[in-house]
Amino acid sequence: MAIIQTGVSEKLVAPWAEWAERYREGRRLLEAGTYALTEGAIAAGCRVFAGYPITPATDIAEYMSKRLPQVGGYYMQAEDELAGMHMCAGASLGGLKAMTATSGPGYTLMHDAYGWAITNEIPLVVVDAMRVGPISGITGAPGQGEFYVARYCSHGGNIETIVLSPNSVQESFWLTIDAFNLAERFRTVVTILTDQVISDMFEDLFLPRDYAELGGIVVPRRHNLTMPFYPLNSDAIDVPPNIVGKGTGICVSAYTHTEEGYDIEAMEAQWAQTYRLVNKIRHHREEILRYEAVGLEDAEVIAVAYGAASRTVKTGVLEARRRGVKAGFLRLISLWPFADELFERDARYLVCELNYDGQLVREVMRAAPDKRKVHFMGKSGELHTVAEVATALEGVARRGSIPELPYIWTEVR
Amino acid sequence: MAGTETKEAPAKTRTEILISGFGGQGVIRMGQILGLCAINQGHRVTMLKSHGTETRGGYVRAQLVISPEYVDSPVVENADVFVAFSAPAYKRFHELCRGKILYDPEMVEEVRSDVPGRHVEVPATALAKERLGNVLFANMIMLGALTRLAGMDFEAMKRAMLAVIPRFHEENLKALDLGYQLDAVARRA
Amino acid sequence: MNKLAQKYLRPSQIPTKACHGCGIGMIENWLLQAIDELGFKQEDVIFGTGIGCVGRQTFATWGGDNFGATHGRALAVATGLKIAQPDKKYLIVVGDGDAAAIGTSHLIHAARRNLGVTVICEDNMGYESTGGQFSPTTPAGYVTNSSPYGMAEPSFDPCDVVKAAGATFVAETTATQWHQTVKIVKKALQNDGFSFVHVRFPCNENFGAYALGTRDTLKNLEWIWEHTQGRTVDGKETDFTWETGIKHDASNSRPEFSKILRDMNERVRTKMTEKGSGDGGH
Ligand SMILES: Cc1ncc(C[n+]2csc(CCOP(=O)(O)OP(=O)(O)O)c2C)c(N)n1
Ligand code: SF4
Ligand SMILES: [Mg+2]
Repeated sequence: MAIIQTGVSEKLVAPWAEWAERYREGRRLLEAGTYALTEGAIAAGCRVFAGYPITPATDIAEYMSKRLPQVGGYYMQAEDELAGMHMCAGASLGGLKAMTATSGPGYTLMHDAYGWAITNEIPLVVVDAMRVGPISGITGAPGQGEFYVARYCSHGGNIETIVLSPNSVQESFWLTIDAFNLAERFRTVVTILTDQVISDMFEDLFLPRDYAELGGIVVPRRHNLTMPFYPLNSDAIDVPPNIVGKGTGICVSAYTHTEEGYDIEAMEAQWAQTYRLVNKIRHHREEILRYEAVGLEDAEVIAVAYGAASRTVKTGVLEARRRGVKAGFLRLISLWPFADELFERDARYLVCELNYDGQLVREVMRAAPDKRKVHFMGKSGELHTVAEVATALEGVARRGSIPELPYIWTEVR
Repeated sequence: MAGTETKEAPAKTRTEILISGFGGQGVIRMGQILGLCAINQGHRVTMLKSHGTETRGGYVRAQLVISPEYVDSPVVENADVFVAFSAPAYKRFHELCRGKILYDPEMVEEVRSDVPGRHVEVPATALAKERLGNVLFANMIMLGALTRLAGMDFEAMKRAMLAVIPRFHEENLKALDLGYQLDAVARRA
Repeated sequence: MNKLAQKYLRPSQIPTKACHGCGIGMIENWLLQAIDELGFKQEDVIFGTGIGCVGRQTFATWGGDNFGATHGRALAVATGLKIAQPDKKYLIVVGDGDAAAIGTSHLIHAARRNLGVTVICEDNMGYESTGGQFSPTTPAGYVTNSSPYGMAEPSFDPCDVVKAAGATFVAETTATQWHQTVKIVKKALQNDGFSFVHVRFPCNENFGAYALGTRDTLKNLEWIWEHTQGRTVDGKETDFTWETGIKHDASNSRPEFSKILRDMNERVRTKMTEKGSGDGGH
């Protein structure tokens, strides 16, 4: 077999590609993803955490309980996840940046709160550290089962959501700052879908010297003190969030609302509200798109992954290239809104994810020019090995199919 | 917001280390110190820690990858070094190792005979009991041995240990030194 | 609109869509009287509600800041809000379903934490906005739309629950006791801690119609009044009696929740400066 050692292009489209250049002075540590995520939140100005412990998000709660009082913030241990997210929504309405963190079993309890926060345009960050399921599954094993749940995080439709996913300890830090920024700019809930591996893994972590110096990249909390409290029929972003407690007369509720926030049962109002909630995100997709790409120019088969899975998949791609396969790598960092534009190439796609039912692959099938060229490589509870990925890429490139591999599922229908 | 660069497909630059034993033996601590030491010397490091449940054999495992460059896959698939602190851990993982296997004979009584050259006996538990009066220091004895064997900077390792472990600094330093000075290890280094 | 309503409420949101003769509006007027007698201004009070008739008919009527939470979660939202805006008074006006069924855990834990809010649980003895099903406060045996053979479950008294959980002010009253209710609400608002005021009122449309067989406001009020006295108007003993009045008053006896957290921060940060750890960023 010929070994081709061609140069391979690497591209990271994310704000922290530049942030990392800007901040050079600080500390280098060996720390866990949960630690980095917590520090990212603190650096972003998060001052309230309310949640209920669950593996593998518990460490975030514990770190928060230590860190928040040090910076004048508040840690609250809620009676359940429903309470936790509603408490965060209340705190954010009162003017404090807030975050909660959970895993699958707690995540599904948050749907009411999600709807309430999204509809009322309350900036919040929610972390879901995914583990293998269904339900409690195996607490110490990674999963990627909430790809769609995070998109459809509340009932009733008529919303768009922003979901980001980190794949390293370092990225957990920067991406969390980014999540808080997007939450402020879009006045909405931003979900961080991380997983057991990226949460629990230790990795070298650079933390900037003084968070006060991050002013240039952190979007501060502002307050909207005047009408309209809800700019209906508008897709504007960077509208300051509303605040309760400053006597503006703001009204916040679970109902379809008017610009004042009054409850109303009229279709025009329902449509105007939906226009706002959906299009403030859809019309600014380019502000949200984040991804990493390797060797896409000449790739005949592109491996697609996010989160923990992307770590071994990327190495698998490089290994396949070494074996002479024209393989590329695409890692989604922003999962929603879905990056349709990245799948316009008429190539073969190998979608690797940590579940057997196939979730991300369905979106790729929808977005790609030819869904018959979209292949699924699902693995449950454990990362794909580098060897598995390289073998599958070879199979897809040479024969148009994934060879049979133990523990790998390829059926989507 | 984009950063683009072109680099050569990397040659194998990564060192993979696997440490496994029972809970409470300080497996993760050992990995943390090793990892921090590498970071302090300018390397990139990943460490996966897993806790097998009773049904999976009851082990704790740390998988470390150390590299001058960013580490993509954090999974140890071909360990350069394997430290075995228990018989189940040895049984489960020895096949993943292509390089040296450090084992504690008090815990791992039987090792494969086909590759004697790759096995290094480190009586960490016995020494910890005998010389320091507490088995808790066995992991630092093992780390001392590993430092010597892998040709790592001993002073840097000591500094990393002091940064990671909050208490019993004197005893831990002594343990590190015991492992580092072991004859059997020194001969193989 | 009366004077108090003019002073405190939003003209555009009055009258509400509540049924004719419903007690919700009357009780709100009594709340305004208590607020007025204490000298609070619109901007001093944050008005929070739940879902249901009680929530929806009072939401956004208050001239100051309002929030209407999802069903049962008003106290969870209020917990976060209180942390961010600790100097405000909070009136949390919720139904029996909101407070004592779907939201019970938040009620209990808000009481335990001594969260500085006043909960007005307006109890119409059922889920009325969904058409009159029984709730945990429907008297056992009474007929509702989901207990056609009489409610089979025992009911409970939410006052007992919050008292046991640590509420610092607990009182029970009814829509037939104007002066007592105003007095109680004033006391509740003066407690810098968790105050719970249970106010029974008649839902003519559902509970009245199905459990009592009448949509007549006066008859429904009379039935409530009789049960506060233990005697019917014609002198017979009632099937049970509600003891009304202040049930527990430990106002201002223990620290309020948001203050506990603020004080802890103070301690942590003082220690940090003493140690000179600076710790700026990290
Ligand atoms: C999660 C959820 N479950 C159910 C409902 C439907 N629902 C709306 S109000 C209500 C009952 C309200 O009862 P209560 O709190 O006593 O208020 P009331 O209408 O009696 O004043 C129910 C069951 C809902 N809105 N949300
Ligand atoms: S249904 Fe009952 S509680 Fe609801 S508004 Fe009508 S009378 Fe009032
Ligand atoms: Mg009710």
